Amino acid sequence: MATELQNVDLKTDEMIINMGPQHPATHGVLRLILTLDGEMVRHVEPILGHLHRAQEWQGQNRTWFQYQALIDRVDYLSGMFTSWAMARSCEQLDGITVPRRAEYLRVLVSEMNRITSHLLWLGTYLIDLGAMFGFPFYPFREREKLLDLLEEIAGQRMMFNYIRIGGVQRDPKADWFQRVKKFTDEFPQRIDEYEAIVTENPIFLKRTKGVGILKQSVAKDYGVTGPCIRCSGIPLDLRRTKPYSVFPELKFDVITYDKEGDTWDRYMARILEMRQSNEIIKQCLDMMPEGEIMAKKQMAGMRIKAGEGFAAVESPRGILGCYVTSTGGEKPFRFRWRNPSFCNLSVLSELLVDSPIADIMAIFGSIDVILPDVDR
Amino acid sequence: MSEGNLIKVGSPYVPDELKDTVTLTSLDHAIDALGELLSPVISPVANLARSNSVWPLTFGTSCCAIEMMCVGMSAFDISRFGSEVFRATPRQADMILTAGTITRKMAPALITLYEQMPEPKYVIAMGACTITGGMFNDSYSVVQGVDRIIPVDVYLPGCPPRPEAILDALLKLQQKIRTENYHERKKRTYNQRAVRYVDYDTGKLVDDLVEEARQEADAVLAGGATIALKSEEKQAEASEKKD
Amino acid sequence: MTHDAKPPAQPEAPLEPGQYGQFLKEHGIATTRLADSCGIETIAIQAEHLPSALKLLRNSQEVKLDLLITVSGVDNNETFDSVYHLWSYSHNNELVLKVMIKKTDVPEGKLPMVPSISNFWSAANWHERETYDLVGIRYSGHPYLRRILNPWDWEGHPLRRDYKQPVDGLNDKNPHSFR
Repeated sequence: MATELQNVDLKTDEMIINMGPQHPATHGVLRLILTLDGEMVRHVEPILGHLHRAQEWQGQNRTWFQYQALIDRVDYLSGMFTSWAMARSCEQLDGITVPRRAEYLRVLVSEMNRITSHLLWLGTYLIDLGAMFGFPFYPFREREKLLDLLEEIAGQRMMFNYIRIGGVQRDPKADWFQRVKKFTDEFPQRIDEYEAIVTENPIFLKRTKGVGILKQSVAKDYGVTGPCIRCSGIPLDLRRTKPYSVFPELKFDVITYDKEGDTWDRYMARILEMRQSNEIIKQCLDMMPEGEIMAKKQMAGMRIKAGEGFAAVESPRGILGCYVTSTGGEKPFRFRWRNPSFCNLSVLSELLVDSPIADIMAIFGSIDVILPDVDR
Repeated sequence: MSEGNLIKVGSPYVPDELKDTVTLTSLDHAIDALGELLSPVISPVANLARSNSVWPLTFGTSCCAIEMMCVGMSAFDISRFGSEVFRATPRQADMILTAGTITRKMAPALITLYEQMPEPKYVIAMGACTITGGMFNDSYSVVQGVDRIIPVDVYLPGCPPRPEAILDALLKLQQKIRTENYHERKKRTYNQRAVRYVDYDTGKLVDDLVEEARQEADAVLAGGATIALKSEEKQAEASEKKD
Repeated sequence: MTHDAKPPAQPEAPLEPGQYGQFLKEHGIATTRLADSCGIETIAIQAEHLPSALKLLRNSQEVKLDLLITVSGVDNNETFDSVYHLWSYSHNNELVLKVMIKKTDVPEGKLPMVPSISNFWSAANWHERETYDLVGIRYSGHPYLRRILNPWDWEGHPLRRDYKQPVDGLNDKNPHSFR
């Protein structure tokens, strides 16, 4: 009797399920239409645009100086990097040289911003995986300390508007540097705390080891950048391959894994990047030169010379760049953002196929997508 | 649209021969009337309890969502004010804290979420984008203020507002809950629903049809008018035309 | 609105082909060199040569331009441009390719057509959908050309110079507004 039942051919059908725009994994508003065969995902279609706020259109209708303040919202977790990308592209067009002290300050605050972004990623990733009450309090504790420091010089906790065309906005006082130094001295112990909870945790290992393997050829085809491609064996880090600012003078390694990376490797890469950013901050504090913080550029009624150009920075998610076309007027002619999350998210349709539902959030969280970066 | 209409008429009339088999169906209306009578006494206690346990929905669209997360964490703890957990499903949430820009594509989803929340529900419009469109005030795809689509109780300006500001808004909302009369709120909020159901055949709002039926029922129960059946009316018209 | 803004002027005399222009000429594809965008070679190419040119640039060993940074659409006042920024994962190469379609060549009521490259280069899939959505350049051969950022039934292409926003109850001017 039992063998007869085993040979019965069940007629199955595929189920289409909507993971709607509002779901508790607070990455923003992304809608996924999943075609499931039982528990396995057969096809996924991400539907974007729920946060399309027309920021490229805004770039054409605001003056250069006004637009600087508004672009922190393009990638709100790494506002310094978006400001830096815009500043770099405009300085390239206009031929502005940024003073050395301003460059060092830019590197310093942007590495602090990288740490805050990765800390938030870590907290929300563990929430997605189920560690709801407990773990996120640790990374957010450090994040609050960093945000207090950044608020002192930038004036805002999240939308810094600190890196401007030509330099930075404000020169911090001497005791600010001492407090940053104190933070960098304590921070490695804190990362050890997080690693003690997460890295060897059997639940975490079960959920992330061998899950979401991103092959090198697939990653190259989809234009993936950032920690995701570095975990698939390609050492593309803009700070080393096309060095900008003062990165040639700083000592740091490109964190690469020599194999096809899975989710655990991407997690580990970000932890190591946090440690590395800590080291970069220490070096910047030691090597900070004296001098001006802003190039001589008229702020009100600012105009950028005619031409077009593309400049990019290495943001926590990948290569963040903007393609600017200017006519010499007071408003840009075309402002196109190249967002790493937009390009990294397109690889999701390859990664999620033939994985069970439970792995969706693990894989999606490890790509580290931020929705306004996708939708602009 | 309040239940007060039927209360004024009184209990429905039950004939003597049916008293054994007919149960009083207006019991919940009676309890409601009792509640309304006792509400000056119960309300302060109930409102105090309700205000100290407002559970928000995890609705984070964009940048303000990060400040919402920060306010739930240990530095600016929101659970000391009663918002212990953020519920993921609107069916279990008391308050929606619209953290983030609402675009035209997202607006139907937000209305659906708001409709799914059970009463009493509150809305805090957080951030400049949800109050008036904020910095996207001439953008083609942003809804200029979430109060165009759902009713808002507290407006919280900022871009993004600091976590202390979110706590301030929550305290103002708690103050508002403590001083309100729940029955008045029920009557008022029912009229503010965004969605109105329309009867397929007649094209009229279902609420209006229900109101008409209630008024006819009141008139009959008060004694006097008879309900004119539509078929009898048509027969009368047809016979008139023949004549 | 920047209706009167003109795109930056191109140089008068035709320039000598640069490294990549030379490479493509050797393989039989004619290109014109435009003004450098901040030191990076910029070449304009005809729409029909685009897929073969990109295949060549991507697969050749000495010119390994295999990182497609972005596909943008620009509405210059006389042309629609589809701009391709190409970098390399392994070398330090950079290139900007442009396909410029004159507005006078586009029939009335139709969209400018550019062959799609997303069949062999998946990175371009979403970028081309976005350009179709915002600027209105139609990519022929795209497997799923549908609006990606705006709702599917949106009318008009917002980043064009002559776009007029629809004004309805969701974004009309508040009578109490100061603006």
